[in-house]
Amino acid sequence: MLVVYMTLGYPDNERYLEFMEEAVKNGADILEIGIPPKYAKYDGPVIRKSYEKVAGKFDLWSFLPETRKVIGGTKAIALTYLEDWVQELDDFLCKLKRAGLDGVLFPDLLIDFVDDYQTYSTRVREKGLNNVIFTAPSVPDKMILQVSRQSDLFLYYGVRPTTGIPLPITVSSLVTRVRNLVDNKLVVGFGLSDENDLRKALKAGADGAAIGTAFIQAIDNGGVKQAIDLVIKLRSVLDEF
Amino acid sequence: MVVVGVYDTPMVNNAEEILPKYWYNIIPDLPKPLPPPRDPLGAEFSRIDLLRTILPKEVLRQQLTIERYIKIPEEVRERYLAIGRPTPLLRARRLEEYLGTPAKIYFKYEGATPTGSHKINTALPQAYFAREEGIEHVVTETGAGQWGTATALSATMYGMKSTVFMVKVSYEQKPMRKSIMQLYGGEVYPSPTDLTEFGKKVRKENPNHPGSLGIAMSEAIEYALDHHLKYLVGSVLDVVILHQSVIGQETIAQLDELGEEPDVLIGCVGGGSNFGGFSFPFIGNGRGKKYIAVASAEIPKFSTGEYKYDFPDSAGLLPLVKMITMGNSYVPPPIYAGGLRYHGAAPSLSLLMKEGIVGWREYNENQIFEAAQMFMRTQGIVPAPESSHAIRAVIEEALEAKRANRKEVIVFNLSGHGLLDLPNYDSMMKRVTSNEQR
Repeated sequence: MLVVYMTLGYPDNERYLEFMEEAVKNGADILEIGIPPKYAKYDGPVIRKSYEKVAGKFDLWSFLPETRKVIGGTKAIALTYLEDWVQELDDFLCKLKRAGLDGVLFPDLLIDFVDDYQTYSTRVREKGLNNVIFTAPSVPDKMILQVSRQSDLFLYYGVRPTTGIPLPITVSSLVTRVRNLVDNKLVVGFGLSDENDLRKALKAGADGAAIGTAFIQAIDNGGVKQAIDLVIKLRSVLDEF
Repeated sequence: MVVVGVYDTPMVNNAEEILPKYWYNIIPDLPKPLPPPRDPLGAEFSRIDLLRTILPKEVLRQQLTIERYIKIPEEVRERYLAIGRPTPLLRARRLEEYLGTPAKIYFKYEGATPTGSHKINTALPQAYFAREEGIEHVVTETGAGQWGTATALSATMYGMKSTVFMVKVSYEQKPMRKSIMQLYGGEVYPSPTDLTEFGKKVRKENPNHPGSLGIAMSEAIEYALDHHLKYLVGSVLDVVILHQSVIGQETIAQLDELGEEPDVLIGCVGGGSNFGGFSFPFIGNGRGKKYIAVASAEIPKFSTGEYKYDFPDSAGLLPLVKMITMGNSYVPPPIYAGGLRYHGAAPSLSLLMKEGIVGWREYNENQIFEAAQMFMRTQGIVPAPESSHAIRAVIEEALEAKRANRKEVIVFNLSGHGLLDLPNYDSMMKRVTSNEQR
């Protein structure tokens, strides 16, 4: 399962849509669309800068539906921090649904809203959206077991504390620790663009990978084409398993 | 078991078996997710990225690769054995008798290591990992000097140089600690210094600044960055508590040998590493019924601190962590001599306290001075002023057991001896006496 992340409207509306369309054609199973937050708590410098670059460049609710037009029936989930929307959550979820999104992933749900995470999950589902739950090695085993059964589409497991920074970890140990606890598709993310790391994660039992920062860097370095080449390469690594 | 002198069960015959083969990490067993370290809002540089430059790679890898058990490298186990691990688990029978309590009191004596405290348990592996990476010089900060001493010895053991930024007020009050660090081969500076931009800034605002652990930490990190050296971390971070888990695991094995089941576990808290190392293997494995973290009433982080994201160091060079904190610019009262001056408590410990699993106490200088004296006169060991906080709580629990006639088993961590803290006790003696006269 290849989960492709891109910041909404990055680097501009036209190239963003081109990337999304081509990503689907070249093997992305699920798209994650980053909605610029006030505070990207668990994002590294690359994604944070991408948010700054697009901030204020589009009207969220009129631009989001454009994605649906170019990606056809592929599942697309919004990625944004619950903190920003918690006061107007039902309204936010309704608008996401109307904009053609299939679900939502709140990275801070289990961290900053842990006592009420089930209530929030229910509210997401009541609006007809999938609720993809974000976990990490700092989530205790019992809770990983529990939420893995409640997460829709797959369970997200961020192996590093921040996106995009190649902090030293043993990815195989981290995946092995939770593999038997996860009663769902296990998708690993956070700094996994390195092919060796990715292979180790898949060998240890991951069902897929979520990649983001590497596509933004590829767009910055060589445009949409280079980013799509990376989609093709990562797809082929996943297809080895 | 034969009782001789002040100690019970002083010898460890099966050291190899009792010394654990793995370090234990409580994070997979916590009741709730541990909030991750993070970069501040609108940060101009990434502190998380900076960790890669500051810490030895393997130390950072262990901080981030969270598993329940991590194998202790054989070379590190050998060093642990060489410095006298497992440390003794002793019974404080004379203290029990003096208090007339039906409770049994045991203590894990971490003062038995050559540096006189538990700090060596993480200094050794960090120095080992640094050396394996080809690092030749390490830097750190120290308050009372226990951590600085542990770093200086560990660095020397692995053929590395060490530089220690020591909180100025301690540097002046504790010349003996400085001597030991220098004898081990360490270079010691009183912080705030003029060797770093941050130190200069603090001194410019107040030339007589007494220093704080947060400031010394920032200076050590800045100095490491400027000189391309690595920084060793003495408390707060999960990797440190991971290494300290040898304390609690040994204690469990030693209690099992005696056929004792612990009821109450007590430890003092500066940054939380000796408490975590001692109590987390019990908490994670469901052993014991009550856990008490003890801090100082003069640095009242438990009663007045807030549970929030804050920097571990004063300059804010490390990532934000969620902890009980009095604020990273907190400066402790200079006259106070009881230790435990750090402004925060480790994130994992903070979470366990917030969840009501670990309880807390705070005692003032008079109270811990009394406790230290009672312990010296019954058990003979001069405790570190830090550890005297735990002793005070032990005494109160033992008296409570007496009132309720409960035959409970109290186990505490005597995190260090106080033989190099005699100036502190001297100063307490004078102040306590003058308070009494008033």
